[in-house]
Amino acid sequence: MFAGRESALLVYVTALIALVLTLLPLPQLVSIVWPNLLVLVVLYWSTMAPQAGGMLLGFLAGLALDVLGGSQLGQHAFAMALLTYLALRLHLLTRAKPLFEQSIFVVIAIVVYEATLWAIDGFSSRDTGSWTRWMHIPIDAMLWPVVVGLLGRTHSVR
Amino acid sequence: MAFAGGGQNRSSARDSAPGPRFFFFALFSLALMYFDQKDGWGDHIRYGLQAAAYPIQVTVGSPGRLWSAATELFQTRDALRAENEALRKRERELALVAIRHEALEQENAALRGLKAGLPPLVSRSELIGVVNADLGRLRQRLIINKGDSSGLFRSQAVVDAAGLVGQLVRVGPWSAEVMLITDPEAAVPVEVVRSGVRSIAVGMGNAEELQMPYLPATADVKPGDLVVTSGLGGIFPAGVPVGEVTENRRDPDELLAHVSVRPRAELDRSRELMALWFNPGNPAAPVDRKLLETLPEPSVADPVIGQPGAAGPAAAQPAIKQPAAVPPPAAPPAGED
Repeated sequence: MFAGRESALLVYVTALIALVLTLLPLPQLVSIVWPNLLVLVVLYWSTMAPQAGGMLLGFLAGLALDVLGGSQLGQHAFAMALLTYLALRLHLLTRAKPLFEQSIFVVIAIVVYEATLWAIDGFSSRDTGSWTRWMHIPIDAMLWPVVVGLLGRTHSVR
Repeated sequence: MAFAGGGQNRSSARDSAPGPRFFFFALFSLALMYFDQKDGWGDHIRYGLQAAAYPIQVTVGSPGRLWSAATELFQTRDALRAENEALRKRERELALVAIRHEALEQENAALRGLKAGLPPLVSRSELIGVVNADLGRLRQRLIINKGDSSGLFRSQAVVDAAGLVGQLVRVGPWSAEVMLITDPEAAVPVEVVRSGVRSIAVGMGNAEELQMPYLPATADVKPGDLVVTSGLGGIFPAGVPVGEVTENRRDPDELLAHVSVRPRAELDRSRELMALWFNPGNPAAPVDRKLLETLPEPSVADPVIGQPGAAGPAAAQPAIKQPAAVPPPAAPPAGED
């Protein structure tokens, strides 16, 4: 119980850092392949410490993206809540798998996330972007082992 | 990453109930989206959230500021001297233009029969930085780093060094959203300088192009013509450069011309913009919108009230009785010449 409360602060601090890194203004070419670190961090905590952040973490992370990115209010919040839900539901399944296999789950989760954003853009008759909006997904998957390695050091996994 | 059997994990598996919580958050997000689209409560919620998110916004922008500060710090003496020289040259040129401009303004005031010179058009300007850009086909918006706390207000005019950029559509406490003139929802009342033809330039969702869709095929508009704001509509002042006509395609079958305009302002590249306040005493300032609202409603007998000088087909209409349900002829700019 105590361990769970301790890591709640850690969870939000790391998510905040990831949020800043995700939103950094970058040259166009770099921003196409710039990973969505916030999604990775939310996925990590939802999988490895589901009681620390939980659904609230996902929702707040998405809301922050909406407010800071100027997108429709609730769009990223909805997609991120869906992603967190999937990660929480499957966490017992995924975290027992080797890192390579976890990356596959990461790809599936982020595709669901991006597809949700894309659909909401379409429904609300906004620009649905080009193929470039999907380009960061393979990079995210490649970064997953790095994120696990880095965040794994910040808390006791077992 | 073996299955860990500690007490922490067991309790997590038991305690978590993501299903109902997801249902709750999903409904909440959908409600937010609904209200944001409706343009009512969404603005208030966003205002509060933007205030809360301001520290993050500052943090996000800081590497860029740090970078520009660092490059400034390590600039060589020669580079600085060259820049200084270029700026001084530019200043001399601008001073010459300003002298000429002052003379013209005085002449203008004399022609208007005014005793004293006119007050300057721009009473105050605020330098604003672009934080984020959304330049898609259906949305052309910029997020800027100043808001309510700097006195910015909704539907304020924003320009850059070359021309008109757009207007503020959402104002938060420390940030705001600019709708570019190229946004598909944007329309700017404009005037062609050479011929004085008035029309409306609408955005096409492309930062390189505007169109003037309500011009008759016979309108006197040529490629290369400068297009400026006409000052009608109560948001933009008169005479701010908007762009240059790049094409006037006339189709013999159609009544309207296809006129394209390339914006002067560097809409997709500018990093620094200016928000403007106007002196209501200057004739070029936008008409006070409250004043426009106090005008009497156009009555059935006189559908062209408010355009006393309007000639052509519209002027012949007051005599014709129109049913009350039919609004006066739309698109006033098209009927004016």
